[in-house]
Amino acid sequence: MTGLTVAARRPLDRPIWIILPLALILIVLAVFLGVADLSPAMVLDVLTGHGSENARLIITDIRIPRIATGILAGIHFAVAGLLLQTITRNPLADPSIMGISQGATLAVTIFLFFAVYWFDSDPHKVYQLPVAWLPTVGLFGGLAAGGVIFLLAWRRDLGPLRITLCGIAVGAVLHALAMGLIAGWGSARIEIVLQWLSGSLYARSWEHVLFLLPFTIAGLLVLPFLRRSIDLLRFEAPVALSFGFPYRAQFTLVLMIACGLAASAVGVTGPIIFIGLIVPHLARFIAGSRFNLVLPLTLLLGAVIVTAGDLIGRLAGGAEEIPIGVVSAIGGAPILLALLRRIR
Amino acid sequence: MPISCSGLSIAYGPRLALSAFDLTLGKGEIRVLIGPNGSGKSTALHALAGLITPSGGEVSVGGRAVASFSRRDLAKRLSFLPQQPAAPDEMTVEQLVRQGRFAHVGLFRSYSARDVEAVRWALDSTGLTGLAERNLRELSGGERQRAWISAALAQEAEILLLDEPTSFLDIGHQVEVLDLVCRLSRERGVTIVMAIHDLNQAMSVCDRISLLDKGERVFDGVPADLAASGLIERIFNVRGRFVSIADTRAPHFDVELARH
Repeated sequence: MTGLTVAARRPLDRPIWIILPLALILIVLAVFLGVADLSPAMVLDVLTGHGSENARLIITDIRIPRIATGILAGIHFAVAGLLLQTITRNPLADPSIMGISQGATLAVTIFLFFAVYWFDSDPHKVYQLPVAWLPTVGLFGGLAAGGVIFLLAWRRDLGPLRITLCGIAVGAVLHALAMGLIAGWGSARIEIVLQWLSGSLYARSWEHVLFLLPFTIAGLLVLPFLRRSIDLLRFEAPVALSFGFPYRAQFTLVLMIACGLAASAVGVTGPIIFIGLIVPHLARFIAGSRFNLVLPLTLLLGAVIVTAGDLIGRLAGGAEEIPIGVVSAIGGAPILLALLRRIR
Repeated sequence: MPISCSGLSIAYGPRLALSAFDLTLGKGEIRVLIGPNGSGKSTALHALAGLITPSGGEVSVGGRAVASFSRRDLAKRLSFLPQQPAAPDEMTVEQLVRQGRFAHVGLFRSYSARDVEAVRWALDSTGLTGLAERNLRELSGGERQRAWISAALAQEAEILLLDEPTSFLDIGHQVEVLDLVCRLSRERGVTIVMAIHDLNQAMSVCDRISLLDKGERVFDGVPADLAASGLIERIFNVRGRFVSIADTRAPHFDVELARH
């Protein structure tokens, strides 16, 4: 009987390389399917350099940049979640729990609040509002929140529980401030903030892709060098230090990378809840004991899940599409519950 | 002189956890720290491992101040196993033991034949070769403790600090750990400082023994002198007597229980 339980608890070798072709198929599907009814032949025409002007506009200027933004943002959120869960040794850590998303939210609301006086005094003129600035503003807000949390934790000791609690507390304060500001507003700005808050890929263009890409590239270039750090940061500080690991410096570095990835993505898409939380768990579940696969799987699944979620939101909602942030939260909760049941 | 400290004081807020603590070890010596709970044994070990900055005094490793070492250089010479460390989820015994090689491989270098051999030796010395692929969560408390000791061994440091390495082990595994400690000291010349609670085990395994009470070292010397000092009964607030077992062995403390 004991032999049986041991066998049942051993991680199975789950087929991992199936995920790659599935991911490619999904991305192709996301290009071919959409609200605007284009036949597969028309999409193919566009992809081979022909096709009508209208179809080209829809595919190359709307669908593909949107998918690309989703892939990059998915990677950012998922990897940031993995890094935060590792350094805080807290399985619930995620950019929206650690205050990074709330920092971005507050920055965006403050920006829209003052933007009225800088740009136009009529709060009902939606299109006068400087929407193009939101990613940059959100990025700095997220980074600032990460910095505040880091300083609070740094002044004491960098205990993982303390840094998580700091994140939650700072996040709650920032969120409350943002909501307080919004409460006194005219409707046009509320609409923009709400749209941004729901985490959406709607109308994301090549500019957004270009905004994210430097962060993605920097992150992906650094990650291979962090593999051993990520293993050692999973230990308590005294143990890691005793192994000779420069804990503080590496903790700081990994936290900064996580903040950069999360804040840039939040700036572009708004907070997409649950991706940072669930994808690392899913990756660990699939990887089992082969934990050098956790990082690549996190990357891949982050891209896949955001693409799939956005495709579902686009198709299910019709003209009034469902934002990815809503799809990921609704779909993510049951996945998390199922995973928790399987893991323990 | 592999490791020593003098006048070491450590304060947690207004409370002195350790005051003017001196310790000097020779190469290959086994030193055991004993003392009641909260007497500063663990604090002393953390300070020796360079994990706490003392408010007074200094620790030196190989004649050099411990604070002047980088963590990695220190880890090549000194390995510390805290009490009851928590293992990350989803980690196998071998993966844990491999982390012990960090001081040698660093962040980027890949594992050489030398590193693989050290891991193999560490697993073998702790009798864990057959369990190498097992998840740490699946192990018994004793096996898990041996896995941690194995990770500390893989570090191949000449100084080993162990904080209660035998707690929560059954007697068989306790003896196994103590035998391993003796072997490391005699065969490899490893210098060892450890805190253990079992007085008789402490007396029989050590070369010298240090008794701490409320952060102060109240005895430092060979076991026979400790037995003659009468300090054990006073500090631990127990009644009993030391019994001689054999000429070559440390005397044995026989506790007197109230019901007799």
